Amino acid sequence: MSKHRGFTIVTVVLALLSIAEILYFWLMPTVEPWLPPEGGHPGDQVDWLFRFMASAAALLYTFVVGYVIYFAIAFRRRRGDSPDALGPNIHDNPKLEAAWTIVPTLFVVLLSVLSIKIWYVLQVQPANGLVVESIGRQWYFTFRYPDVNGEVTSEMHLPVNVPVTLNVTSADVIHSFWVPDMRLKADMIPGMINTIRFTPTRIGRYKIICTEFCGTGHSTMDKQVMVVEPVAQYEVWYRGWQVHNAQVSNAIPTVSSGAISLTGGSASAGQALFAQKCTACHALGPFSQRIVGPGLLGVLHDPTHPNLVDGDPATPPNVAKILQNGYTGSFGHMPDEAENGLSSKDIANLVAYLNTLKVK
Amino acid sequence: MAVVSIPGGGEVDQLYAETRALRLQGFLLFLVSDIVLFSSFIFAYLYLRNSGQGWPPPGVTRPAIALGAVNAAILFGSGATMHYALENFKHGKFMRYAAFMISTIILGVLFLSGQGFEYYTLYVHDHVSWSGSGIFGASFFTLTGMHGFHVFCGIWYLTILLLQSVHGVYDKNKYFGLTAGTLYWHFVDVIWVVLFSIFYLV
Amino acid sequence: MSVIAEHGGLAEHIHPEPQGFIRKYIFSLDHKIIGIQYIITAFVFFVLAGCLAEIIRIQLMHANGGFITPDTYDEVYSIHGSAMVWLVIIPMLTGGFGNLVMPVQIGARDVAFPWLNMISFWIFPVSGLMLFSSFLMGAPVAGWTEYPPMSLQGAAGTSMWCAAIFLVGVSSTLTGINFLVTMLKMRAPGMTYTRMPLFCWGQFATAPLLMIATTALAAALAALFMERQFGVPFYDPTKGGSPVLWQHMFWFYSHPAVYIMILPAFGIMSEVISVFSRKPIFGYRLIAFSSAAIALAGFMVWAHHMFTSGIAPYMQLPFMVITFIIAVPTGVKIFSWIATLWEGKIHLTSSMLFALGFLVLFTFGGISGVFLAAIPFDLHVHGTYFIPAHLHFVLVGGSLMGIFSGIYYWFPKMTGRYMSEFWGRVHFVLFMIGFLGTFLPMHWLGAEGMPRRVATYDPQFQGVNQFESIFSFIMTLAILIFFINALYSIRNGKKAGHNPWGARTLEWQIPSPMPYYNFKHIPSVFGLPYDFTEPLPYAHLEEELTDSPVPVGSH
Ligand code: HEA
Ligand code: HEA
Ligand code: HEC
Ligand code: CUA
Ligand SMILES: [Cu+2]
Repeated sequence: MSKHRGFTIVTVVLALLSIAEILYFWLMPTVEPWLPPEGGHPGDQVDWLFRFMASAAALLYTFVVGYVIYFAIAFRRRRGDSPDALGPNIHDNPKLEAAWTIVPTLFVVLLSVLSIKIWYVLQVQPANGLVVESIGRQWYFTFRYPDVNGEVTSEMHLPVNVPVTLNVTSADVIHSFWVPDMRLKADMIPGMINTIRFTPTRIGRYKIICTEFCGTGHSTMDKQVMVVEPVAQYEVWYRGWQVHNAQVSNAIPTVSSGAISLTGGSASAGQALFAQKCTACHALGPFSQRIVGPGLLGVLHDPTHPNLVDGDPATPPNVAKILQNGYTGSFGHMPDEAENGLSSKDIANLVAYLNTLKVK
Repeated sequence: MAVVSIPGGGEVDQLYAETRALRLQGFLLFLVSDIVLFSSFIFAYLYLRNSGQGWPPPGVTRPAIALGAVNAAILFGSGATMHYALENFKHGKFMRYAAFMISTIILGVLFLSGQGFEYYTLYVHDHVSWSGSGIFGASFFTLTGMHGFHVFCGIWYLTILLLQSVHGVYDKNKYFGLTAGTLYWHFVDVIWVVLFSIFYLV
Repeated sequence: MSVIAEHGGLAEHIHPEPQGFIRKYIFSLDHKIIGIQYIITAFVFFVLAGCLAEIIRIQLMHANGGFITPDTYDEVYSIHGSAMVWLVIIPMLTGGFGNLVMPVQIGARDVAFPWLNMISFWIFPVSGLMLFSSFLMGAPVAGWTEYPPMSLQGAAGTSMWCAAIFLVGVSSTLTGINFLVTMLKMRAPGMTYTRMPLFCWGQFATAPLLMIATTALAAALAALFMERQFGVPFYDPTKGGSPVLWQHMFWFYSHPAVYIMILPAFGIMSEVISVFSRKPIFGYRLIAFSSAAIALAGFMVWAHHMFTSGIAPYMQLPFMVITFIIAVPTGVKIFSWIATLWEGKIHLTSSMLFALGFLVLFTFGGISGVFLAAIPFDLHVHGTYFIPAHLHFVLVGGSLMGIFSGIYYWFPKMTGRYMSEFWGRVHFVLFMIGFLGTFLPMHWLGAEGMPRRVATYDPQFQGVNQFESIFSFIMTLAILIFFINALYSIRNGKKAGHNPWGARTLEWQIPSPMPYYNFKHIPSVFGLPYDFTEPLPYAHLEEELTDSPVPVGSH
């Protein structure tokens, strides 16, 4: 029967194709075209699970699609057939049906076992690891480290190859803490602490992304990074914050009522601050490129934009005034220093940074 | 018109028998979805209660169990009178039926008054309110309020049934409305058993 | 007595057909008219929600957005998702196709409670208008899932959203009760459960979900509404509430809801694939049983949407395993349909093409669902574009393809005319191309690091997003062709007889469009409707096709 010979041929072809796909998923050196580069443990395990599921899926899917297309072509009504031609009266086939109930069931059991094994790894508290906290805020992340007074507001730094227990929570609405390269995420829920555990094994800078909708700035809540660095470098950074926060807590930022001194503003500190607190609403583009507020690339050096939104000429003290007092105009509401959580020093840094921006 | 016999003797026409079966099924399914509605709020209440803030939350007075118990007794009593009302109607004892029915309605009204009094004391005396007493106020007033609303509707429902039966809408072979009313009233009773236990007893 | 007897009862209780336009077409009690009303209304909302989808795609053409503000963008996808789920797919598949076909297929004259049916229908457009009117007062922004505390802060439209969804839920619940009673009590003599057409089995498994799950959602919505309007604390953590409570209550509904959106489409598949393969459906019993199994298990998996929300770790495991298990009954269906194709005489009509497309696309979406169910992998892709990828594969590649297939299939029954086959094929080809180009790359985007619900994104993804947007325009074109084809064919399509496809379920044994009160004589059933080589398994059908039924009873 030629029909069934065709079936055999197609089956063999599909089998070869699936074998090729499976080999591909196991032999590719990294998962990189499919997932971002892997940065630590248990990301490696997740990748393993991905290879497993992807190869099983490829096998299954190749056959499903292959047969659907092949049957649709091979068994289509042909020109010669009578319009009333009927197919044979096949109702069922208990053996076949048992097979396609039992085989997937077994597969599902296997998949459960594997997933649970990896899940278990995620629950284990590492011995002598580092415990860090992250707090989601609209729309940036802050961090707490042991023995550092208060919150660390810039990047998150971690020593390489040291297990980390990360406790996350939120100060306002639900956020989610995701580092794609670590393959892990946890929702940051106000009033609750969620935990993820991992060990970064590759030095580098990784994006931290918020994956739970949290308001206007949600889209831009991907500007901060997790820096994984050698222990020595980490120690330097850590001490730096210990000292810095100790000083800050001694001199609680005095809300200045007069003009702010702009001398000594650090553009690089301003840049870090800007990425955290301003990019939710401002793009680094021309004035017309609006997110919530206007683009700020040319706020101080754009001849086509001589005046600020409040009508004052675009000079550093006037920009500082807007940062300090906020402004509500035709674009909407620009928060003041309290709402944005800025100290005078911060404002000086920010203005210094804004001053470096020029439209090309 | 074709006639079929019904359980317990008597005959009704087939159309009535069939539509009665449909309506009974529909009414039961409606009660099922109503149960799901209550269950969802009960789940919410138990979930919040066990979310680790202690119970009752600090500064909140729980309602007095005595009043709740009296009220529960009233409502269960009304369940009994309802049962006898239907039984008597089935056996054609109209006056006894009416008496039981009226007592059911009166007991229902008493229950609501008891609940009103309870709300009043909680609110005025203990300063427990719907939106101002945290999750206790929220779940207590929402659930008991929902139940109270069901009782309120039930009282109207029974009153209408009573008036209808006075006008001879039902006879001893055709009384689906009364069956539905009884089911509803028992349902409201059973819900109160649950609410009483979770709010007053445990 | 679970089956309506033949004489004297409901079966012969026929009211005369109303004559006025309003009673006949607007406030109709006739299940067929109501079904068509649902379908038309749902398509209107589909166009609106589809236009919102295109606004999304236009915004995402550029990494910095710029077409609309982030706030507007949030409103747009929230209403897009809500409308597609609650105003398009659910009403179309249950109220629409269910009303149109199910009562006839079981040999009944109407649903159990025609009045209730009319009320359910009329609630639906009203709540739809309420949902869209929320744009006027600041639409909800937190997505179709509206997680608090975000949704507590949303603009006034969020309360409108609650009310609208609550109402449409009431409509669903009433439809569920109505259908369940109809199928339990009004089957024609001999129409046992194991002889019911599989479309009815799909509805039979769906009805309890409509009835039970939707009520749970009503509670969640009521609580959200009370909290927003009267400050009653349920979800706000600063007042002792719990945001996770909402997630439990919402997903306890919304997971069963995804099966509400797919089980009727499965039913359509079974009818279409069997009819156009000219072969009995393979494995009737397992297909019917698996619908019930899916519906039941569907209640036990809701927390797979919450693996990152910090529910107790050991609680996650049963949810993961049961979710995996659902793949088994679903697989049984897929395999049975493929086996039905085997050695058939397949007619590649538009309806059948969409059914085959369903097999290809839905299986992909289902498999990506299994990926998601594996906790370690879900921790990576939750909240990313992988989720819209999965949900569009199952919802557009599954439910919507099923709807298209069903429309091509039952169009002759509704109107007495064919839709154009040529344009049907054009629709199919363009739709497949557009669909794959739009939604396939989303898996990759999500896995690589693009979160969902963002108005602006990392410029490295701009190329892929532009590619998707362009293909989404092709998909829009395909759907436009479909609408033109349908509207044109209502009056000008080729005339179809009462049974153009040679189908054997009861709706095809009566004239097209279906006469008022369906059958002159309620048929008796003595077999399954899928044995194409056997004579029809119905008695008392002889006169159905000659003249229209005469009202015999009166009130
Ligand atoms: C059944 C449900 C369904 C359907 C059919 C669709 C259809 C489409 N969806 Fe949607 N979608 C959802 C359900 C659905 N979606 C849900 C639940 C979400 C999640 C929301 C959330 O996050 O809360 C979502 C989210 C979602 C997103 C993610 C938004 C984000 O996370 O930021 C995107 C992005 O591309 C998208 C795109 C589309 C597109 C291009 C279509 C297209 O298939 C639509 C094509 C249809 C038409 C265009 C209408 C018909 C056409 C005409 C009448 C022609 C004339 C029209 C024009 C000229 C515009 N959808
Ligand atoms: C029609 C709608 C529909 C359907 C049918 C499904 C079906 C399934 N869904 Fe999906 N899902 C959605 C609509 C749907 N889903 C929506 C809208 C969301 C997002 C909500 C939001 O957040 O906005 C979602 C989200 C979602 C999540 C949450 C992800 C997250 O947010 O982190 C998960 C996780 O488990 C999941 C899993 C599944 C599974 C396992 C199935 C299974 O039922 C699929 C079963 C089918 C198959 C597996 C294919 C055929 C089977 C075979 C060929 C047999 C052999 C196969 C195996 C043994 C593997 N879905
Ligand atoms: C909540 C959104 C939001 C945040 C956060 C925000 N801004 Fe703004 N900003 C605005 C809006 C809106 C305007 C325009 C006000 C108007 O004209 O209506 C604005 C205006 C400005 C202007 C004037 C621009 C001009 O060209 O005249 C400057 C400078 C500015 N913001 C700097 C900052 C800095 C620096 C930060 C970070 C500390 C910041 N903004 C944070 C919303 C925001
Ligand atoms: Cu924070 Cu999204
Ligand atoms: Cu789900």
